[in-house]
Parts: sequence; C-alpha cells; structure tokens
Amino acid sequence: MSSQSRSPNAELGLLDATMIGMGAMIGAGIFVLTGLAAEIAGPAAIVVFALNGVVTAFTGLSYAELAASIPKSGGGYAFVREIFDDLSSFIMGWMLWFAYMIAGALYALGFAPNFLELLHVYGVVAPPDQVGAIALPVVDATLPLAFLLAFVAVLGLVTLNAVSTAASGSAETIFTIVKVSILVVFVGFGIASPMFSGAEFQPLFPEGGGAAAILPAMGLTFIAFEGYDLITTVTEEVENPRKNIPKAIFLSLVATVIVYLAVVTVAVGTLGAQGLADAGEAGIAAAATSFMPTGLPVIRNGGALIVFGAVFSTLTALNAVVIASSRVAFSMGREGQLLPSFGQLHHRYGTPFVAILASAVVMLGSVALPTQSAGNMSSLFFLLSFIIVNVAVIRLRRERPDMHRPYEMPFYPAPPLIGVALNLLLTVVLVEYLIRTDPLALGLSVGWILLGGVAYAVLNRVRTEPQRDDGTDIEMTPEVDD
Amino acid sequence: MTATLDVIIAGGGRVGFQTAELLADRGHDVTIIERDDRVVSDIADEWVATVIHGDATDPSIIEQAGVERADVIAALTGESGLNLAVCLAASELTPGIRTVARIDRAARESYTRFVDAVLFPERAGARVAANEISGSDVQTLADVTGSLDIMLVRVAEGAPAAGKQLTEVRFPAGTLVVSDENGERIARSDTTLSAGSRYVVAVEPDVADEVMNLLQG
Repeated sequence: MSSQSRSPNAELGLLDATMIGMGAMIGAGIFVLTGLAAEIAGPAAIVVFALNGVVTAFTGLSYAELAASIPKSGGGYAFVREIFDDLSSFIMGWMLWFAYMIAGALYALGFAPNFLELLHVYGVVAPPDQVGAIALPVVDATLPLAFLLAFVAVLGLVTLNAVSTAASGSAETIFTIVKVSILVVFVGFGIASPMFSGAEFQPLFPEGGGAAAILPAMGLTFIAFEGYDLITTVTEEVENPRKNIPKAIFLSLVATVIVYLAVVTVAVGTLGAQGLADAGEAGIAAAATSFMPTGLPVIRNGGALIVFGAVFSTLTALNAVVIASSRVAFSMGREGQLLPSFGQLHHRYGTPFVAILASAVVMLGSVALPTQSAGNMSSLFFLLSFIIVNVAVIRLRRERPDMHRPYEMPFYPAPPLIGVALNLLLTVVLVEYLIRTDPLALGLSVGWILLGGVAYAVLNRVRTEPQRDDGTDIEMTPEVDD
Repeated sequence: MTATLDVIIAGGGRVGFQTAELLADRGHDVTIIERDDRVVSDIADEWVATVIHGDATDPSIIEQAGVERADVIAALTGESGLNLAVCLAASELTPGIRTVARIDRAARESYTRFVDAVLFPERAGARVAANEISGSDVQTLADVTGSLDIMLVRVAEGAPAAGKQLTEVRFPAGTLVVSDENGERIARSDTTLSAGSRYVVAVEPDVADEVMNLLQG
C-alpha cells in the first residue's frame, strides 16, 4: 500500500524484514492454539507444529521466488493478479481478504481470555480457582465479558488504522524482540522447573484418535505459520530485496519453527496435554503460571510476564492483520475488482478508509464465533490461497520462461507441486473435520465464497457499462456495504 | 475506474529505466523488456518492475510481457527503427494499445503516422540545458531539477478530493497545490478542487501515487 511511502525510504535490513515475518507469525497462533491443538492431538501437538513448518516451507519457496521477481508490495494477491485472469485473481483476493479478517477475529478472541487472565493475576477480576478453566457459575458473567473485550480490541485497532497511517517497520522489530524474549524466558524457566523433569510425552497420540488426529490439528494450527507472507508486502522498503526477501522468508520460518517447538515442548512437558487442553486459548499462560517463580517485585507473579506476552502478541498480531486485510481490499479496489471506493484513500485521513471499514464489519461479526471455528476457517482460507500461490509459480514458469527471476527455487518443479499436494491434503482433512464437528464454520466459508461469486457478477455488470475512464460517468455508484 | 495503467517498456537503459521508475512511483504497473544481461540484473536490484529477458521484437517475448492486458507500450531503446518495429508488432498483437516510440532525430517525427506518440529525449534534455545555460527561473512543466514532479492534474469525477476545498483535504506531506482552476491564480485555502478542472500540483515522488489517488480516484 502506498502509505508506506509516506516515511520516505525507511530502509529495512535483513534483520528488520525477518522480524516482520517472525512478528506476524509469533503472534496469537502459538498462544491461542497450543491448548486447542493439545486437545485434538494430545502430546503430539509438538509433531503438529513441526509438520506445519515443513508444509509451509514449500509455499515459502514460492513466495520467495514471486516476491523477488514481481516488484509489487501487494503480497499474494498482487502476484496472482500478475498471471491469472480476472476471475481467478478475484477469487484469490476474496479468499485472502477473508482469511486475514477471520485471523483478526481469532487473535481478538485469543486476546480476551489472556487479558482476563492478566487481570486476575493481579486480582482485578475474581479469579476462578483453576486458571483458565472457568467455574460454572462464572460462565454467564465471563463469556460475554470475553466477547466484549474481543469486540473492543478490534474496534480500537480498526479505528486507529482508519484515522492514522502510523505503521512502521522499526517498531515491529522491537515488538518481535519483546515477544521472542518473553517466550525464551518461558522456555528457560520451563525446562528448569521440576515439573518438566518428570515430563510425560507418553502416549504420544490421544486415545481413540491415533496418529490420524495429527491432521485435523495441523489444519487448525496452520494459521500459526501465516505471517511470513507479510514480508512480501513491505518489499519496497527492504534494501536489496532480491537477496534479502527470500532470506528473510526462510530465516523467519526457521526461527519461528524453533521457537514454537521449544514452547510447545515445554508447555506439554509441564502442564501435560490434558491440562493444556483444559486451559484452551489460555494454555500457554496457564502453563506459565504453573511453574514461573512467584513473589517477584513489581510483577509479583512470574506467570504474569508470560500472560502479558500473550496479550501483547495477540494485540500486535491483530494490528498486523487489520492492516493486511484492508491492504488486500484496497489493492482489489485499485485493480477494479471491488468497488472503486475500496481503492481510494480517504480525503481527510489519508488511509484506505472504505477498505478498513468493510474489513472491520466482517471482523466484528466474526468475533461472535467460537475460537476454534475462527481458527479453522482462517486456516482453511490460507490453505486455499497458498495453493493458488503455488500454482501461480508453476504458471509463470511455463508461460513466462524469459521473465527475470533474481531468486529461483531449487529443485523446481518439486516444491510447488509438493506444496499444492500437502496444502490440498490439509484442506481435505480440514473440510472433512469441519463436516463432522463444525458445520457452522463450513457453512460460513461456503457462504463467503458464494457471496464472492455474486459480488464478482454484480461488479462485472457495473464495470462493463463505463468501459473507458475518459468519459465522465456521472452516475455515482451508491456506497454498497457487502 | 482506477487510473492505473498497465505499461510495457521495451529497453531498460537509461531512458527506459527512469521512465519505469517515474511510472512505478505514480502507482502504475510496469514491465520492462531488456536484452542485455547486465542491464537486467541492474534493474532487478532496483526492484521497480517485472523484467522479461529477451528481444522486444520477438512475439513470444512481447506476449510474456503481458501485451494482451497492457494499456500502453513504450519502445525506448536507442534504435528508432527497432522502437517502431516493437510498436507495430504490439499493435498487431493487441489492437487499440497505445504506442509510444523513442526517436533519435527530428526527421522521425513522421513516425506519428504509425504510433500514437513519439519522444525525443535528446531534445527534451537540450531544452533543460538551454534553460540552465540562460539561467532563467522559468522551467517547463515537464523537466524540473531534482526529483520533484510538477504536474498538471485534472481532477476526476468522483475522486476523493473532487468538489472539496483545499482545507478539507489532507494531502500527504510533500504535496503542494500551486494553481487554482484554469491556472489564473495561486491556490488559496478556500480554493475548491472542482472535478474536470486542471491544477498545477507539485509533489515529491514518494507520495505521488497517493496524491493521484486523491485527485483521480
């Protein structure tokens, strides 16, 4: 988006670019989804995160090749727009937009219980006796409160982004260092704690599920590795992008996998898979409160530091996807694939106001979803759009063999083909899992795609009338809010 | 409709590359076709455009540059004949595409019978040189020293800023609306940006595409 050129030549180095990717990945996913993954896959949650890292790496290669050769800061949508026809690129944009919006809802939903946890550590909220496992009488009081908190978080960040353009890469680096440091502290204390020495990783797989339980858990937590793609949205500001962007993508992926594995291992080792599952969205926070030292000055309880980390991570990740989702809608508007008003900056605020508002409507609506549904839907749409990104690489190689590719992936065509196959496998598993357990999420997903079909047809009707822009089309399109 | 153009530039040398940079700053999509290996990797370092590596008269290369979707093709190599051939080939493949050819001497202005526009960089440069030598403060709109762009912009119907007074519009830092409509007076805070009129606007290249967005949608 152009608002980045407001800070002229904020030259980001390799470290900054890597931090942007890590910052977006080490957001809410690890804090929010670890408990849910443990619920599905038991101690094998560790394997789940490792395998997801491997699956994502193939798509990472595709992103790296595209980002180095197509100099556009639009991320996945811009790349696909380069090679696919109108309909396919519209579908890509439409799905990616939704994926970011639902991710926003997911992060907001993860923020709420962790924030409540933080309050309760300091005794502001009446603590349930067992962290995260809410006692029954409190349910009525707590659930709406969490929903309200999530709603307010989205509203606040949307407002912030709608009226000011103050996103800068350098702050991102500091944020990421803070997040990673907190997780390192968590891992350090966890390994040192007596609970960990008696860690139980057996049986690895939950009873009744067996190894098959890994796949749906992978589908759910796939979103934890979404984020490296945001590196490609700031390419313009990175120095020597053709070398640094691919490097930043791989470095951030590798670093993130290492951090995740350490965190999940410690969480499972200390609290046990069952405890994690009970704690749900606040799993990591619950694990931390169980072994972090207490009686410290100022922060009193060491666990509070980790809970703060979770709150901080979910908020910064939410901010990142608010920006990312509006950016996709803005690009689509500029390309004439959504109403032109989406692709316009607001005359007073200088932000893509309409794009942000439209994204906000969906995000605020999605906050009413269960966390698990939001995670599943978001993962589903990222899987689908990543499939298209892989296909785009193959198509570009076939149709534009002479395009200059500063970074060429090794072993072509294996990586994108494997990427498509693995993403497709996870998609099928996820859809099958949704049919069994979460028809609501599946229905909403199908509904969004159908809505996209309608929007595409209507927009095409609208667009074929005023074909050239030199004629003055007086008929202003009314502001439709879909 | 958006005002972004899909542009193909044949020849990524000095003229071609700088043209690509200006257009990319204004938010247009640019693809460069370039034959020379060394130039290709120089352009890739700058990261302003997709580069197709090959001979611009080769139909498959023009197709790879996305000629069927392009609005404009500008042939800016140092060889006039080659430029003409590229423009004619592109018109053949995509009837209705706007064609611009770089020429190397005034006699070739007759090319306008085949292409939509010709440009003669040496003469444009000479005009600037003459301005500089005579030391006058008057500069033509097209060539400004430094990197500022001074442009004549027509406010589009339905643009975000259309019909608004200057005080109501927050242009990004690095923008100055110079004239009022019709260029009779210097713009004041109560100047209204009426759709269809043209204004002289000075912008820094970093914010050019935002300004274009506000004025043209």
